[in-house]
Amino acid sequence: MRIKKGLAYRRVAGELFVVDGANARLHELNGAAAVIWEGLSKGLSQSRIAAELSGQFEVEEPAALLDVQEFQRQLLAAGLLEEK
Amino acid sequence: MSVAGFGLNFKSDSTSIIKILRRRYAPFLGRSVRGLELEVSEGPNRREPFRPYVESAAGRLKLRRGDFCAEILNRQRKGKASAAPNEQCLDAFLRSLISRRLLDSGGLMLHSAGIVLGGKAYVFPGKSGAGKSTLSRLALGAGAEVISDEINLLRPGPRGWVAYGSPFWGEMRAGGRQASWPLGGIFLLKKAGTSSVLPCSGGEPFRSVLRCVVNFSRSAEVAAAALAAAGRLLAVTQTRKLEFSKDNADFMELIV
Repeated sequence: MRIKKGLAYRRVAGELFVVDGANARLHELNGAAAVIWEGLSKGLSQSRIAAELSGQFEVEEPAALLDVQEFQRQLLAAGLLEEK
Repeated sequence: MSVAGFGLNFKSDSTSIIKILRRRYAPFLGRSVRGLELEVSEGPNRREPFRPYVESAAGRLKLRRGDFCAEILNRQRKGKASAAPNEQCLDAFLRSLISRRLLDSGGLMLHSAGIVLGGKAYVFPGKSGAGKSTLSRLALGAGAEVISDEINLLRPGPRGWVAYGSPFWGEMRAGGRQASWPLGGIFLLKKAGTSSVLPCSGGEPFRSVLRCVVNFSRSAEVAAAALAAAGRLLAVTQTRKLEFSKDNADFMELIV
């Protein structure tokens, strides 16, 4: 999965703002979600993103991996991800 | 005419269109200004689609709505448009065009109230119902100049951000004037029983400003331009929250 084309995003004050111009929607991601988003934007694997999350938020890697997977499902449902 | 520093020269065989432009935008007219040359003909007054569509590709800017359609060659600064000969249509067309020109130049068209105090512009972003017109009326009653109660035009300049006179108004339906003021600050609006100024937290200013940007394009590039412009604006502009009462203009003393 990768971030859908046509989205613009920017990190401000620890939050990440995603503008979906085609659907005129603004999404706001908190710090942890922003780390996952940025990992996806770099094309990192789920386990690499989970390791990054674990390092930044004091969460065990297995739990972080579940968070990454769940959040990825949410992003897909929101139409913000697409198949590679 | 000149709006937000953008020159617009209209040519039309339609006396109705020329009459409307002369009347509606009188404070923004000039003899001849450098800028875009637009040949405007009369077109049908279709109601749908109501939301403007603005896209740019291969050096051409296209603007469409049920009642207007325009194509502009960016490099040549020339274009043709057809528009229904009524004020609402021409207003929507100009809003669409100016909002895009602002984004292209690093600026922003913001749903906001704008007032002048001590020679500086103060802008109050807010969606419908936030209190823009109420605040503007109170400020006018207290002797301040109102730039617009609905749409303000901001551009970065060599000495900081500048607010330009706006021909786009909401409930107050005033005319505006061709002028510019250095931007003194931004206040996020909240109606309250009494007036007070509070600090903003985290991404709150960015979120509020971004939600108030007027942008009819669906492209990622233009969305990215809006994000970047909002970021640059807020990086250098003091932004606070203003709680204000609709019963008096006490808030005026808290602005400067």
